[in-house]
Amino acid sequence: MELPTKIEPETTDLPTTLQWRLERKSHGRLDCVDARGQRHADVDVLRAFPISAPNDAVALIAADGSELVWIETLTVIDPAVRAMLEAELASREFLPVIRSIESVSDGEPTEWHVITDRGATRFKVAHADDILCQSDSGAFITDTFGVRYRIPNAMDLDPDSRRRFEKSL
Amino acid sequence: MPLGRLGLETGEVVLAACRFDLDASLNFTDGWIVLTDRRLLADLPASADGEEHSTAETLRAWPLDALTQLDVRLRTGVGRIELSQDHRVIARWLFTPARAKAIHSLEDVFDQRLHGQSTIALGTPGNSTHNDSPKKPVEQNNPTPIVSAKSSDDDEPSFSKDSSEASWRALGRLVTFARPHAAVAVLGGVLSLAGTAAALVPPYLTMPLVDQVLIPRQAGQPVPFERVWWYLAGLGIAALAAWLLSWAQSWTLAWVGERVAADLRVRTYSHMQSLSLDFFSGKRTGDLMSRVGSDTDRINTFLSVHLIEFSSNVMLVLLTAGVLTAISPTLAIVTLAPFPLVVWLVYAVRERLRRGFARSSVAWADMTSALADTIPGIRVVKAFAQESREIDRFRATNDRVLEANDRVNVVWAFFGPLVSLFSEVGLLVVWAAGAWLVFSGSVTVGALTAFLAYISRFYGRVESMIRMVPATQRAAASAQRIFEILDCTPTVAEVPHPLNPGRVKGRIEIAGVHFRYGPREILHGIDLTVEPGEMIGLVGTSGSGKTTLANLVCRFYDPSSGSISVDGIDLKQLSIPEYRRNLGCVLQEPFLFFGTVAENIAYGRPDASRAQIVSAARAAGAHEFILALPAAYDSRVGERGGSLSGGERQRLSIARALLVDPAILVLDEATSSVDAETEAIIQSAIDRLVAGRTTIAIAHRLSTLRRADRLVVLDAGRIIEIGTHDELLAANGAYARLYNAQTKAAEQAAAGA
Ligand SMILES: Nc1ncnc2c1ncn2[C@@H]1O[C@H](COP(=O)(O)OP(=O)(O)OP(=O)(O)O)[C@@H](O)[C@H]1O
Ligand SMILES: [Mg+2]
Repeated sequence: MELPTKIEPETTDLPTTLQWRLERKSHGRLDCVDARGQRHADVDVLRAFPISAPNDAVALIAADGSELVWIETLTVIDPAVRAMLEAELASREFLPVIRSIESVSDGEPTEWHVITDRGATRFKVAHADDILCQSDSGAFITDTFGVRYRIPNAMDLDPDSRRRFEKSL
Repeated sequence: MPLGRLGLETGEVVLAACRFDLDASLNFTDGWIVLTDRRLLADLPASADGEEHSTAETLRAWPLDALTQLDVRLRTGVGRIELSQDHRVIARWLFTPARAKAIHSLEDVFDQRLHGQSTIALGTPGNSTHNDSPKKPVEQNNPTPIVSAKSSDDDEPSFSKDSSEASWRALGRLVTFARPHAAVAVLGGVLSLAGTAAALVPPYLTMPLVDQVLIPRQAGQPVPFERVWWYLAGLGIAALAAWLLSWAQSWTLAWVGERVAADLRVRTYSHMQSLSLDFFSGKRTGDLMSRVGSDTDRINTFLSVHLIEFSSNVMLVLLTAGVLTAISPTLAIVTLAPFPLVVWLVYAVRERLRRGFARSSVAWADMTSALADTIPGIRVVKAFAQESREIDRFRATNDRVLEANDRVNVVWAFFGPLVSLFSEVGLLVVWAAGAWLVFSGSVTVGALTAFLAYISRFYGRVESMIRMVPATQRAAASAQRIFEILDCTPTVAEVPHPLNPGRVKGRIEIAGVHFRYGPREILHGIDLTVEPGEMIGLVGTSGSGKTTLANLVCRFYDPSSGSISVDGIDLKQLSIPEYRRNLGCVLQEPFLFFGTVAENIAYGRPDASRAQIVSAARAAGAHEFILALPAAYDSRVGERGGSLSGGERQRLSIARALLVDPAILVLDEATSSVDAETEAIIQSAIDRLVAGRTTIAIAHRLSTLRRADRLVVLDAGRIIEIGTHDELLAANGAYARLYNAQTKAAEQAAAGA
């Protein structure tokens, strides 16, 4: 097994030459050429802490699930690569932003009917633990299928939505 | 999906249908993908080339022969379906995990079509891509195309409409639990009616007492004093009767309430026992405990205390209203005027209270969960010195209970005195109107006295009726939580007329088995036949799906597609308890119950004799250590076997499995925590016992599996190698690598020692 190439923020501030390369292929696929020049087709880009630290700790995963590259923090890598990674994450990451909450049922699981920036949808939340409030009054809600929804700032919701949201906590 | 939209050809049969719900820019959308025996039809997907198609209504069709691959991938939050032709992607759809199940089954059907199987997948017995999968394949000459689009909806959450309506329905459903005690409940009702009526007599008697005795007497007329005696006696008897009747009524209704709650507890618990494992993996123990315990208790209080009060109050209010109208309609109207206002108030506050109580129940359950979580894990807590953090966590959940209760109390504290105010005002109104009517001569002083007596009772009852509102809402919230459990259906369910397999021979056929936990596929097409009496060793990296496969053989879960049959009968056709009687399982995490060693060994066969228990313990290599325990076989093992070592627990659970004399033995890492010497002892015992039993043994320590007839190597949910130890070593593949790594490690350890 190859060791993942590590980019240590302490050693290099902005690495000019990377030990690995990314190439965009057709249909939005990404290929990664690793430090040994080996090519991995169709790699996945994953955030390791999607909720608690979305901008740190990004991993490139080969199609067979093994880890190719570990990026401690996105801020230290080459801006071009970083843009590519972020575009990829944006296209894969489905994190609808809740604009308003139409209804939340009582009991468990709670049933939510919301309007997001991606359109209207309904989902179920198994437990109040699946609603994670951030210190900046934002929140992440994870539904029973593992889809996450974001409320950037509960204070920005309209009063009805906010009341429903607070009721659900 | 409207059938007409598809524009199917004559005789074309729909095999599977699913919906996708995202477009290329990840906005919610809704479109269909339909697989027929000839074509793949789909709403225009999110474009593969990045250009947008604006109309979702257009349907495209691809003839099946031209297609080479349908690739479904769900690794990150968004799933992706890619359709390729000559290894070029020609279409791409995106979906959320909510749609994954139907999409995966369409993929399965597609693969089966493509890989040259002529039988229609959904029709073959044993293959149930979907339990309630639609279409029985129709004869190919059927001129009408068959479509059933229901298949794609079964993984969508269903949403109920109105929660407050639901809470009333939940209360109404409690009545079904009272039905067995209907006679007593009716008796209680009659008693409470009689008691109420008796309570109404005294004020009625005061009316003639004042009008015909006291006032004439005061006016100087000669009234014999014995008439006072008569009225006093009447008053006394009425009071006594009212007391006796209400005593009998409380007792009968409490009797019913107690029984309803007890039935409810047992029903909830036994229903929970019938549910499948996936129900429990999604729930927290503390939450379930509080539902069975405190929620049923609240219902009991409601039924045995509040419901009685409530019904007798309603009756009293109605009867009083009747009596008042009979005495003086005008005064009655004035008196009862504020009543609708009270009713409206109750209505307004009711929903608020119910929500408050639902929250408080949830908060309470969270608190119980915190306990149920950390008390069994107390060793971990102490080992990492996290006591204070756990106390803080508990305090936080406790604070939530406090906060939830405070919120209800705020509403209630405001509302309760409001009702008292109403009754004071009501009294004032009656005095005013009464005085005026007495002056105008339309009402006697006696009638007014009776009215005042009635009205204070009346408002007293209204007040206590309103006090009932929170109790009702609390019970409604609790009833709802209980029916949430009762309404769950086991996902691993028995067919209506299950077969009783009796003693099986133990031929296990696993055919094309796929398995998913939610959207994640763990097993990707397992084919394996185990002959009766054969011992299979299952090896593979951690997380490769060994335990999952064993779970399927035990029928803890059903495969998502494909089938498992024993002696040629699909497991789904068999009665689950009858089948499991043939099974002996040693699970990866051995679980012992609170009780003695002997009780734990005899768990699967409570009628086993002491000699049988001892010989099972001997066979499992547990006999000697058991004898060394303070009370030998009668020693208590503590909750979850906490007072035993890991290896001792494992040996007890092996003994437990052996005692049932199973036809099929599943050993999941059964000897992972015992030393090499003990393992050799158990191993020889197992060797003896394995004879004549179909055995599936999972082990990381490969030496354990030397006796296996065949070794099956799993990797990432697929079988990659099958063969005997020698064959696999000779093949020099994955098994050989694993084996060499282990022997090398053992040699190094030996050299180091
Ligand atoms: N209840 C569950 N819900 C969701 N995923 C699960 C569940 N149980 C197991 N898994 C996942 O299924 C995969 C296979 O698990 P399984 O327990 O079959 O592995 P295993 O081969 O027995 O591994 P080990 O040798 O470590 O016991 C793992 O990736 C695991 O994360
Ligand atoms: Mg396992």
